[in-house]
Amino acid sequence: MNNPPEEEANMYTPETRTPDAALLALHALRCVGAASTARLHGVTGLDESDLASELIDLGAAGLVTRFPGEPPCWALTDAGRVADAERIAHELDSAGARGAVEAAFGRFLVLNPELLDLCRAWQLRDVDGGVSANDHRDPAYDARVLDRFADLDRRAASVCTELSAALPRFGRYRLRLADALDRAAAGELEYVTDDLASYHTVWAELHEDLLATLGKQR
Amino acid sequence: MRWIRALSAETGEGADTLGGKALGLALLHRLGLRTPAGFVVTTDACRAFLRDGRLPDGLHDELAAAVAGLERATGRAFGGPRQPLAVSVRSGASVSMPGMMSTILNLGLTTGATAGLAAETGDPAFAEDSRQRLLSSLAAATTDDGSVPDDANRQLELAIEAVFSSWDAPRARAYRAVHDLPHDLGTAAIVQPMVFGNRDDHSGTGVAFSRDPNTGENAPYGEVLFGHQGEDVVSGASMTRPLCALAHREPVVWTELRDALSRIEGHYRDACYVEFTYQSGELWLLQVRPGRFVGAAAVRLATELVDERAIGRDEALRRVSAEHLKHVRTPRIASSEETRVLARGVGACPGVAVGRVATTPERAVRMARDTPVVLVRPETSPHDMHGLVAAAGIVTARGGPASHAAVVARAMGKPAVVGAAELAFDSDTGTVTADGLSLDDALVTIDGTSGEVALGRPRVVADQAGGHLHRLLVWADDISGDHSERSDSQRLAAAHAALAPRGDT
Repeated sequence: MNNPPEEEANMYTPETRTPDAALLALHALRCVGAASTARLHGVTGLDESDLASELIDLGAAGLVTRFPGEPPCWALTDAGRVADAERIAHELDSAGARGAVEAAFGRFLVLNPELLDLCRAWQLRDVDGGVSANDHRDPAYDARVLDRFADLDRRAASVCTELSAALPRFGRYRLRLADALDRAAAGELEYVTDDLASYHTVWAELHEDLLATLGKQR
Repeated sequence: MRWIRALSAETGEGADTLGGKALGLALLHRLGLRTPAGFVVTTDACRAFLRDGRLPDGLHDELAAAVAGLERATGRAFGGPRQPLAVSVRSGASVSMPGMMSTILNLGLTTGATAGLAAETGDPAFAEDSRQRLLSSLAAATTDDGSVPDDANRQLELAIEAVFSSWDAPRARAYRAVHDLPHDLGTAAIVQPMVFGNRDDHSGTGVAFSRDPNTGENAPYGEVLFGHQGEDVVSGASMTRPLCALAHREPVVWTELRDALSRIEGHYRDACYVEFTYQSGELWLLQVRPGRFVGAAAVRLATELVDERAIGRDEALRRVSAEHLKHVRTPRIASSEETRVLARGVGACPGVAVGRVATTPERAVRMARDTPVVLVRPETSPHDMHGLVAAAGIVTARGGPASHAAVVARAMGKPAVVGAAELAFDSDTGTVTADGLSLDDALVTIDGTSGEVALGRPRVVADQAGGHLHRLLVWADDISGDHSERSDSQRLAAAHAALAPRGDT
């Protein structure tokens, strides 16, 4: 750890930080695995500098560790995983949101196989009885797949709306999913399945978040 | 009858009305192979159902008559308390939509019929197992949460409605939209007496290719599941065995299956695929289609069919497409007696990866600093992302070709095997074993085409169809008349161009 906090008592300083920023950072690592502050900024919407100080505090508390690298990454410790489960369950129950999130999760699971089918269709084509990588040289095919993504996204949007009404932090997923689809439609094809901010990646993180929030196993 | 056709050697209409699966079953009848009697509810009935939201007038009476026919053919009573008849309802459209549509087994097992089946077989556990499968599959296929009625005819109608409705399920609609298939075709529903692969120790189910679809080698290939019903093979819920295990365990069934595969090949003049169940030592075929081989396997198959005088050279060339040629040089594990295959799953991203096994993403990252790593996980989630990035190849025990691991592996272009069900994870210690061997740190080689996970570093080939491809391309030059130095694909394309005007001779 390079920069240990001067005093542990500074862990939550309300006048300088979003009150729940620590939980947002902790839970983001629970949902996306090891990540840099730049990536966590994309996930949570928090400033990188705020994230960095939250992570240092969380590190001092033994809940996260920092891996050197370019860029350096942060990940939960076992204690961090336990702490996240407790805090996220507490957040859910204090908001009285368990029923609403359960219901939304049920609707998410209906959409999930369709999303995975579409990702497969984006990556692979059925050609001559076999399966081939989609080389993206057939714009009509790609347009049909993206059209279905847009259709699925409209149904996913209503699930996201229910979720963010229950717990505002879920609002990030709507923005990130829409952003991925907008970029893909504008020709940045890696935003469908390949990029770390792709539709598939964000969707999988939402899936993980719902499981973690509800304390469920896959 | 207006909405129903009997399945027999005489079944004459096309796939538009009956669907592809029913035509395959009619072929089995014509070839004199054992397949259950049955009938098809046509795509016309499906279209009427989708239009009106209910089964068409007259179908109710036609179903009663058709079921009575099955009762006469089998000497059993549908839903009856003695010698009960149970049936399956399976979808079958004129277009292939793999895994999109519903299948419901064991219909007619009311409480009374289940008791009857238990008394008849002296095996209450088998009867109850079969009924539970009915209840769960029918509940899963029907959207409303109503309980399953204890009336055989009502169960049958519900199942047909469920199969018809599955045509319009969002996943099926998305599949058709992506593949530019019309939405108004509808599916047929095939009703057949059940054959119970879970009946006793001499029962089971499986899938078989007449030749190896990975290599094209002329040897039957597939999977068998002893003592189970067919959906377990497809779902990967239970542990399957290589098809050749049948030879030792049920030699009579094995011989009959080989004979059937050979007769079907003779008809198609092509490799074939069948789904089968055997009950108390008696083999039944439940589905058949051409093998649809690709890549090196397609090249070897076409060439050997010429050697066997099943097809001519022109036809062999027509059957090998430019797309097949593209895959011919994908690296593969060479087939060899000496290779110890630890587990077999589904190839999700082609290519071969060799590395030491890491069972957590953290270990994968750490080990990858010194040596190539194969990440082996029960399944993957976003948590595994840094491990996936660090690994040279990916293996999961659960999930299919559209699972998270498969999507990510393809996005990264890394060889991947998914659904390798023989891998056993110990959740306490985090270790994984396969074929009696602890895999942690072991050197393995994975083949993302065939789905094999092999111990050590077996021989890898990138020109599996070498000799066969060479001969095929010589034929191609003979037909095009151009013997100049060119790429393989140019030689094949010239032959295709020369063959095109000759039509389908």
